[in-house]
Amino acid sequence: MATRPLSRKRKTLWSQAGPTPRLVFGSAIIVLVGVLGMTPKAIFGLPVAWPFAALWGAIGWGRVGLSLRPMFLLVLFGLAQDIISNAPLGCFVIVNLGVYALSAAIAEHTEGMRDPLVAIVGPGVLLLTAFLLVWLFASLAGNQAVRAAPLLAAFVVTGLTFAIAQQMYDLGRRPGDGPGQQT
Amino acid sequence: MARSGRTLQRPRGRALRRLTLGILFLLAMALLVAQSAPQISQFFVPVRTAVSDRISAPAEAGLWARLSGQAARDRRIRELENEVRDLARYKEAAISMADRLESYEDMLNLLGEPPEKGVTARVTAETDGPFAQTVLANAGRLQGVEPGGIAVNEGGLVGRVIHLGQRSSRILLLSDYNSRLPVVGEVSGVRAILYGDNDENVGKIGDLPEDSEFIERERILTSGDGGLFPRGLVVGEVRRSGDGWRVRFSMRERRGGYVRIVAPMPIEAPPVSLETGEGLDTSGASATGEAVTTAASPAQGTR
Repeated sequence: MATRPLSRKRKTLWSQAGPTPRLVFGSAIIVLVGVLGMTPKAIFGLPVAWPFAALWGAIGWGRVGLSLRPMFLLVLFGLAQDIISNAPLGCFVIVNLGVYALSAAIAEHTEGMRDPLVAIVGPGVLLLTAFLLVWLFASLAGNQAVRAAPLLAAFVVTGLTFAIAQQMYDLGRRPGDGPGQQT
Repeated sequence: MARSGRTLQRPRGRALRRLTLGILFLLAMALLVAQSAPQISQFFVPVRTAVSDRISAPAEAGLWARLSGQAARDRRIRELENEVRDLARYKEAAISMADRLESYEDMLNLLGEPPEKGVTARVTAETDGPFAQTVLANAGRLQGVEPGGIAVNEGGLVGRVIHLGQRSSRILLLSDYNSRLPVVGEVSGVRAILYGDNDENVGKIGDLPEDSEFIERERILTSGDGGLFPRGLVVGEVRRSGDGWRVRFSMRERRGGYVRIVAPMPIEAPPVSLETGEGLDTSGASATGEAVTTAASPAQGTR
């Protein structure tokens, strides 16, 4: 009797990619979104809230634990954000690294955010922390409490877009793990 | 054996990564705290302008563009576009108004504003984040922009140059929280200070003289007090809002993506004569001049 060959799950190019190509791809997306964010953002005269793209990397890359390359990339992105948004140098570096460290800590204590509740609440907590930090730094830099609504809108957009694009910021495995050890 | 060696390496690697993270954190904190001193903060301005120059890189033609002649064509198109814009601006009644104004000034033997000279630049980036409301224009020192240059667009006054690079300038918008601008009502003649409120469309009016009111929807112009801005630049339209007055910026109504940056026209103080005491600080003149200058400078001074 002829037996049907076992149906294998098709491996996509992304699933076969290692952490380095994934890191490069994620960084390219962040740079692209950041550059587009510098152009005037209005549709039919209405201002558009633009995401803090570097936070996608901070949250996603932190999920597999601490690693040096994402850390340095986040420092670079932070400095670029500081210069573009005319913030004191170091503000967004702290925000990015803080979210990255917190993301790694949450992932370590919850075994990689596999629990659906943690997977949803975790990024929420991280984005809220980032929002508070940015609001605090902006208020201190400007000697006044800056309006929270536009900032909150930007963070909501960051969260929503991350929910869609989080796969792009999954490095696939922990730093130091060999190929094939998917986390 | 090999496995146990690897397990020993893992905690060491993790500790190294944690240490690196801690060091990066501390460096960022130190950088941030150090900038609370204005002297140190000023030290980073060249870094910012250098990066701004790179962001405005389209001003630099690439090798292929130069070889194919595309760069020359682009430059010519830009020149013609600038010319058309200038002509359109003149067409819009500016010439007739200037002529009329000149004739009035001749009749009164009044010294008018010095003629403006400036450069038209493309807005290459806008920042409307929580820190500052600025735009980046692709013209800098090489194009003749001067520190403190005044930026206007087709609608009216936009702001003032706060950072100047070789090929770029960062313009602090009137809507920024730190903006302070001496203004005057076109019809009522009431003088006041316009405050930026981090709202890109409207600013609020303060420091109104007692018993003075604007006329609803009258145009607001720069008063020229303090000498940082020339008199008569259109700022917007005033409307009552609750107890106070708010100005709807006219720069937002016609944003074509270009700004014209004109050189600042500071009014020089008269020379001080120690013998006669002429030009020395007399209470009335100094009080007005100084007070307004102080009020206006953070407006568009460096942050």
